Amino acid sequence: MALLSRVADRMYWAARYVERAEDSARVLRAYGDVLADLPTTSSRWSPLVSISGSDVKLPPVVGSDESQVAQFLMADREHSNSIVNAVEHCRENLRTCREVLPREAWQTVNDLSIYVRGAAVTSVERRRRDRFLSRVIDESRRLDGVLQSTMTRDEVFEMWRLGRYIERADMTTRVLGVRAAALLAQPPGSVDEFAEVQWMGVLRSLSALQMYQRATRGPIDGPAVVRFLLFDHRFPRSVAGCLAEMRTSILRLPEYSTVLGAVEAVDRQLRRSRPAADDGAVLDAAMDEVQSALARLDTVMHEQYVVH
Amino acid sequence: MGCGGVRSSVVDELLEVDGSPRPIARELIALLHRIGIDEVRERQRVSDLEILTMGISFTVYSDGENIDRAWPFDVIPRLIDGDEWSIVERGLAQRLRALNHFIDDVYNDRRIISDGVFPAGLLDDSANYRPECQGVHPKFGVWAHISGSDLVRAGDGQLYVLEDNLRVPSGVSYVLENRAVAKRTFPELFQRYRIRPVDAYTDELNRLLASLAPDDRNDPCIAVLTPGIFNSAYFEHSFLAQRMGAELVEGQDLVVGDDDCVYMRTIQGLERVDVIYRRIDDLFIDPEAFLPDSMLGVAGLMRAWKAGNVGIANAPGAGVADDKVVYAWVPDMIRYYLGEEPLIPNVPTYRCMYDDEREHVLANLGDLVLKPANESGGYGIVIGNRASADELEAVAASIRADPRNWVAQPILDLSTAPTLVDDGIEPRHLDLRPFILTGEHSYVTAGGLTRVALTKGSLIVNSSQGGGSKDTWIVDTNDPSGHQPAQAQNQAQNQSAGI
Repeated sequence: MALLSRVADRMYWAARYVERAEDSARVLRAYGDVLADLPTTSSRWSPLVSISGSDVKLPPVVGSDESQVAQFLMADREHSNSIVNAVEHCRENLRTCREVLPREAWQTVNDLSIYVRGAAVTSVERRRRDRFLSRVIDESRRLDGVLQSTMTRDEVFEMWRLGRYIERADMTTRVLGVRAAALLAQPPGSVDEFAEVQWMGVLRSLSALQMYQRATRGPIDGPAVVRFLLFDHRFPRSVAGCLAEMRTSILRLPEYSTVLGAVEAVDRQLRRSRPAADDGAVLDAAMDEVQSALARLDTVMHEQYVVH
Repeated sequence: MGCGGVRSSVVDELLEVDGSPRPIARELIALLHRIGIDEVRERQRVSDLEILTMGISFTVYSDGENIDRAWPFDVIPRLIDGDEWSIVERGLAQRLRALNHFIDDVYNDRRIISDGVFPAGLLDDSANYRPECQGVHPKFGVWAHISGSDLVRAGDGQLYVLEDNLRVPSGVSYVLENRAVAKRTFPELFQRYRIRPVDAYTDELNRLLASLAPDDRNDPCIAVLTPGIFNSAYFEHSFLAQRMGAELVEGQDLVVGDDDCVYMRTIQGLERVDVIYRRIDDLFIDPEAFLPDSMLGVAGLMRAWKAGNVGIANAPGAGVADDKVVYAWVPDMIRYYLGEEPLIPNVPTYRCMYDDEREHVLANLGDLVLKPANESGGYGIVIGNRASADELEAVAASIRADPRNWVAQPILDLSTAPTLVDDGIEPRHLDLRPFILTGEHSYVTAGGLTRVALTKGSLIVNSSQGGGSKDTWIVDTNDPSGHQPAQAQNQAQNQSAGI
């Protein structure tokens, strides 16, 4: 059955938005966890704002204060990438393609949206925050589970997967570009007794700690963490892993050659960043390049399947 | 008639005059007594929550941020005896066959006018007459494929047709959703009653739409054409497309090619569309033929339809018979086209275009409901005994100025049914909208959408104005021998629907 261009576009964006909500929740949850282990927690919250999007300008009223940043990332209606807005955008996109979705999938999103709308503001407070963030993460996964177990592997499904993996790859590069780059950039020889805790935080913010440890069987080592998150294609949140999943989906779509070409361009950019894994000074810029290649992939897909 | 607006002759659907349950309602009323008001409220709360979670909604304009509202549902069902319903079913099918004969006739030979049964000249003034449709012969001679006729039970206990909605009637999705919720609200009653299932509707609709495809098209592509997410019935458009596996399209998704065929824009390029179930008023469907600045439609759609390259339901122009003046002739149409007597009566209707009927209306304004011919959704209606002297004077002036555009009917005592409200369980007025499919064959929903006015004494059942809804149970009480028990069918449907 043919897939309407408009529906393809909305499925793709719904997937991106729910992945964005899930990823933001995970980053925020892990960050709060790490900071609790550090001696001082002052003025360390602003990096989170950078992760949530380079295009985002923090309003002057928002400082580096924890509750302000958490409020901005979770509940701010003016911030288009806040969790409450990302969930709402996901719902609005799916609302106009319910006819192609398994019914339970819509119910999951609707349920999440009702919850988030009601609970976001009151969950900013640290004591309640974890419960909120965990619910967002769980529901987002439940949604994937519903689709995975009940949806025909048609083009609608592939559009969904593409949205998920592009957004996920993008988030992994953002976390590395902001947090890992800062950690690697610490002056050589300086001993930061909390470095390991912080690298664990980076891994946790991508749900990668346990798999990293299984894969490397070694201690937490900065460059090894970066390489794992960029290149270990067996790990589903690594950039290489996301690219492999994108290829699988693209091969099931019609007229895919230019789109596949754009994925390979991302891959080339990724391989070019290999030396940056050891060098905090260039990691951020290298991640920017990968993000630009992902943005071009998005444009190519739009031209191929939506506006043609 | 009583005084102060209190009427003695209101019939209740579930209760006898002395307040005891009607035979059909005994099990239900007994259950309500057994579980008590608190448990009824608890079940209402659970069903409200379920409706919210399932995203069963309707859209209200200008309601700020939250334009998508949860569907209002009263847990206490409205019951109708299967024997009575069997007559109503045949009566509605009969009515729609006659109406379709009429529409086909007025756009072609106009025999009913030359034979003197229907007055000449009346149609040319109708706001819903489309000259562009003259000479078109849709498949099976059917124009109004999907219709919803509003039924009311008056003080004499008789069901009357109040009006026929032949353009884009909505509400059928809520019939199906209400049933899904009711099954979970009162599972014990579904085991005791034999209730006719309603789920077959979308299958029947799918079959009907497929039959409208051009003859040379196998495995036709069906699309539901919606004005978009801001339309009050968007939920339903989406629901129907989902249940039928049809495409849900907006005007921007479609294009008419130089070959006069309709195509949709897909990720693979253009694909042919064979049947369009349009949920857009016909003036908006084709800017080339009708309103040139319509953003909702598809330029060239009328060309494609007239060339026979696409089936459209309901056909453009079908609304000509959806007119409160034309309504008055429906019993005559049934006799003229079918040679049958109407099985469901019309509400007696005075036509102000005739001098004697108009004079009667003007002399009795306070006892009548005054209706403009072409408005829908209750707009412009004046209820004589609730209007001020000024309002009556204004409507009298309107009638004198444009008599063709006015009809009047007696004020009906709409029936009531027990309904859960803040103060407990109280009678509230209701109506019923069954949905009728007409193609090569006819199909009528088992029951329909019962709408209930939640405000005490109110007759306004529209959901946008504080109305609620009830599940409608067509209950078979006679010997079921030879039939599968209704409850077994329900269970089978539950499983196959994956609920």
